[in-house]
Amino acid sequence: MRYNETTRSGGALWWFFHRLSGLYLAIVLFVHVLVLHVLMKDELAYGTIAERVATPLWKTINISFLVVALMHGLYGLWLVLGDYIHRQWMRILIWCAIAVIGLVFTIYGALTMISFQYGG
Amino acid sequence: MAMITFRINRYNPDDERRGHYAQEYQLDVQKGTTLLDALNEIKWKQDGTLTFRRSCRSGICGSCAMTINGVNNLACETQVLGLGGSTITVEPMRGYPVIKDLVVSLDPLVRGILAVKPYMITHSPPPSDQERLQSPEEREKIDGLYECILCGSCTSSCPSFWADKEYIGPHAFLKAYRFVADSRDEGSAEHMEALDDRHGLWRCHTIFNCVEACPKDLNPTKAISELKKELVRRKLG
Repeated sequence: MRYNETTRSGGALWWFFHRLSGLYLAIVLFVHVLVLHVLMKDELAYGTIAERVATPLWKTINISFLVVALMHGLYGLWLVLGDYIHRQWMRILIWCAIAVIGLVFTIYGALTMISFQYGG
Repeated sequence: MAMITFRINRYNPDDERRGHYAQEYQLDVQKGTTLLDALNEIKWKQDGTLTFRRSCRSGICGSCAMTINGVNNLACETQVLGLGGSTITVEPMRGYPVIKDLVVSLDPLVRGILAVKPYMITHSPPPSDQERLQSPEEREKIDGLYECILCGSCTSSCPSFWADKEYIGPHAFLKAYRFVADSRDEGSAEHMEALDDRHGLWRCHTIFNCVEACPKDLNPTKAISELKKELVRRKLG
């Protein structure tokens, strides 16, 4: 017997994803600080940063960061809102809104990163 | 002896117009007097209409849980002079519907506890000596879990419960884990079936209020964390 037949959550895998994505974000942020503020010997200027961001490796890292950060943050937002929103139609509406926001920012951010070029 | 003012939240369902209000009583209190002693003294000698639950007066039954100076605790385990100050505020536990004065409806508590099947489930026949034995190490695993007296302090202090009255509650999660962790129990899946729900485990945001509130110094947050990991293991396994 379930507690409530209408409110299955599927939260187990999302909860696990939230932990893994949090760990990934912490690692990427650490790498970012290390590369930008500790290891970099060049002058901190637009050209230096842009040259690095335009490489395939950093494009991949940045796009993965974008996707994971959006999913992590928006799922957290959904969790917090879910505490207070109990009407089913409202929950569906907000879930769809969050999904659309996530999708739009993922596409917009990814296109920006992919098309970014610098120098030669 | 010290003169203490007890500021008690009152509510009479037969007098809806008045609603909830605070009423003050004064009492000479000596060392060793518990809040339950003081409430009894007030009820018996000053105001017989004051209503509160009490039973064992030994911290075992959980009946006299209430909010004392903003913190949930058992009245029978609270030393009045130990609280400090000359005014003590006593309220019904927060989050539950108030029936009268300090008496709250524990229906949400019961609904949550029943959802996790709070009893030992076995499928195998009992051994020939009619007892299901466990080693001292296995027994140790349910320390800090079995001692819950179901007073409701933890769930009353939980912001997730304040926001969602159908939230199963930390008291029920602790009870569920008490059986999941018990080597003699064979019904983990049945205890945990209700937990993977919109009103279940995932509503816990690790706020730790339940740990602060527990008059028995138990740790429902740790039990919830273990249950979450166990549910993930089952989904992935």
